[in-house]
Amino acid sequence: MTSPLEARSLSLNREGNAVLNGVSFAVAEGEVFALLGGNGAGKSSTLLAFLGFLEPSGGEILVNGKSVADDIAAARSAIAYLPEAAALYGHMTAYENLNYFLDLAGKSVKKADYDDALNRVALPREARSRRLQSYSKGMRQKTAIALALLRETPILLLDEPTSGLDPVAIDEFHDLVKDLAGAGQTILMVTHDVYGACQVADRVGLLRRGQLVGSFAAENGERIDTETVHAAFAERETT
Amino acid sequence: MNMMLRIAKEEWRLWLRSKVIVVATLIVAVLLAVTSVLTVNRVASEQSQRLAQQVAAEATFFAQPDRHPHRMVHYGHYAFRPPPPLAAFEPGVDAVTGQSIFLEGHRQNTPMFADTKAAADLGGFASLNPANLYQLLLPLLLIVLGHALLLRERESGTLAVMLAQGQSGVSLAMGKALALLAVIAIFMLPLIAVSIHSVVQGENGLAAVSLVGGYFLYLCVWGAIVLAASIILKHRAVSLGALIFIWLFAALIVPRFAINASSAAIDAPGKIESDLVMLAEQRKLGDGHNAADPAFQRLQKEVLEQYDVEKVEDLPINWRGVVASYSEAELTDLLNGYAENRMEQEANQSGLFNLFGLASPTIAIGSVSRTLAGTDLSTHHRFLRESEALRFDFVQSLNEVHAKELAYEDDLNRSSDPEAERRTRVNSEAWRVLDEFRFTPDSASDRVDRASFAFGMLLSWLILACGVAFFAARRVRV
Repeated sequence: MTSPLEARSLSLNREGNAVLNGVSFAVAEGEVFALLGGNGAGKSSTLLAFLGFLEPSGGEILVNGKSVADDIAAARSAIAYLPEAAALYGHMTAYENLNYFLDLAGKSVKKADYDDALNRVALPREARSRRLQSYSKGMRQKTAIALALLRETPILLLDEPTSGLDPVAIDEFHDLVKDLAGAGQTILMVTHDVYGACQVADRVGLLRRGQLVGSFAAENGERIDTETVHAAFAERETT
Repeated sequence: MNMMLRIAKEEWRLWLRSKVIVVATLIVAVLLAVTSVLTVNRVASEQSQRLAQQVAAEATFFAQPDRHPHRMVHYGHYAFRPPPPLAAFEPGVDAVTGQSIFLEGHRQNTPMFADTKAAADLGGFASLNPANLYQLLLPLLLIVLGHALLLRERESGTLAVMLAQGQSGVSLAMGKALALLAVIAIFMLPLIAVSIHSVVQGENGLAAVSLVGGYFLYLCVWGAIVLAASIILKHRAVSLGALIFIWLFAALIVPRFAINASSAAIDAPGKIESDLVMLAEQRKLGDGHNAADPAFQRLQKEVLEQYDVEKVEDLPINWRGVVASYSEAELTDLLNGYAENRMEQEANQSGLFNLFGLASPTIAIGSVSRTLAGTDLSTHHRFLRESEALRFDFVQSLNEVHAKELAYEDDLNRSSDPEAERRTRVNSEAWRVLDEFRFTPDSASDRVDRASFAFGMLLSWLILACGVAFFAARRVRV
């Protein structure tokens, strides 16, 4: 069966520096795969490669079994992407942001659906008609998550999704990710939050200096053991 | 197309919500409106004044009493060049050339109000008028508005989100271009209003539409340059700095250099310098007031032979009138030779200056603007030629009256004999030899033809800038 997301011996260069070196993994349908790594490990670059923003210097990257290089448009239409910095427009309200980006995606959504998505991410109702320049980082992040939800794509790429969220919102977000995966969405998230990754992911890949150096999977309905992953993460980061 | 409109709409939302940009735009709009109104009023007033002065000058000439025709040759006449209707937008060379000229016998006077030593100075960069604002200020406003069009999206991370929604770099760039195009369309409104006013004032629609088209093309060139920079460059400050440098280079440095280069390459002496050089040659022609001047001996021989008489006193025509006419023709030939040479050098200077339009779209639009408005050097030269033809015609017509209607003996004795003096007075009806002079701009099609090369340069600039923007947009990276 074709994996919605697959990297085959993927190597990437950015501005002359190798950021990924022969990384291979696949994410199955309905699976949450977390790529865990420190700063500069190549996590965000991996996501950008799936979107066709970075061309592999080696190997291949596939979305729904098709090479991204062959059909970038098909890859992007299948993917909703949540960047690390919740890149939205400060001069627009939450509604206006959602409306604009969904228009760009060619997706027609009713206002009630906007509210549903914003309710799911618990963005206060009174804030929705305010411009984002008055939002906290967490509120911006929630709006960006709502956008990703409204895309209703089969694949979700999340770059440090809980960055800026308070602990309650983080828990709510984790529940949301599990719900989405349960509904069949394939999710690849990159993070340096060991706890978060273990909480939500079915599998965790450990990325270090551009190489996949470890993999941990949830077994028998249990979550991945945070201590084990943390120990491996800390050990590899310090060696 | 819908997607481009959508992207453009959001760019507009940003601009409208950004108070700095709104205030900057308002300031420019007020400046444009005020300058346009002031220039329109000034030109309308100058136009009616000069026309009235032309009519008054003719009436004054015709109203002169009976007198010796050569006194009328020296009494002289005026020719006025009223500003064409589109001068309300583009005064062109009018600011640095004379607009009226005193016409008299034996002289080609300099147009009054100013001398134009160097034709390349006729760019008109010195004074504030609507054309200057369009050529200099509006590109600057486009730079302020658009230097971060796409770059801002990259810096804030929204470019990745936009592209991730399935939009291509080209469609984003086209949406941004459409937003800028709408700004340019709004910028065109004052010019359109002035053009409509000029058509009401008698300007040809083709010239007015072409002028609007030329400036639209020019602002589109700047829009495309701004867009290309916002796609290619990676930092807002770098983009703003680079674009301001390009603006300085294209709008100020190249025109200044072009003026100096064309003046240095083609040395065009001014009217006064030409006159000094010409004086020596002029002396050889003889003094037309002195029929006994040795310079006219050959003429005398020929005329005597023609009429088969021995002495000038036996001629059926007034020998002094014949000399005056001959002398005027010879002198005019000499003067015209120098004038044509000077105008040719000025035209060459101007042509060389205009060629710098290949290095600066501002020079190209300046050329288009002055030509279409009928305020270019070529139009000024035509005024000089037509006023000179008027001068020569009335002087020679008066000389003909002198030769045919005045007895030679009376002419000789008029200083000592009051009766002879009375008989040399010609009926003032003779002053009707003066033709009515109404200077009008070239036909619109002639002006459009003359502006076509500069139009071509603007079009080349647009294709080049759009091409760069397009290829940069195809390779846009987050």
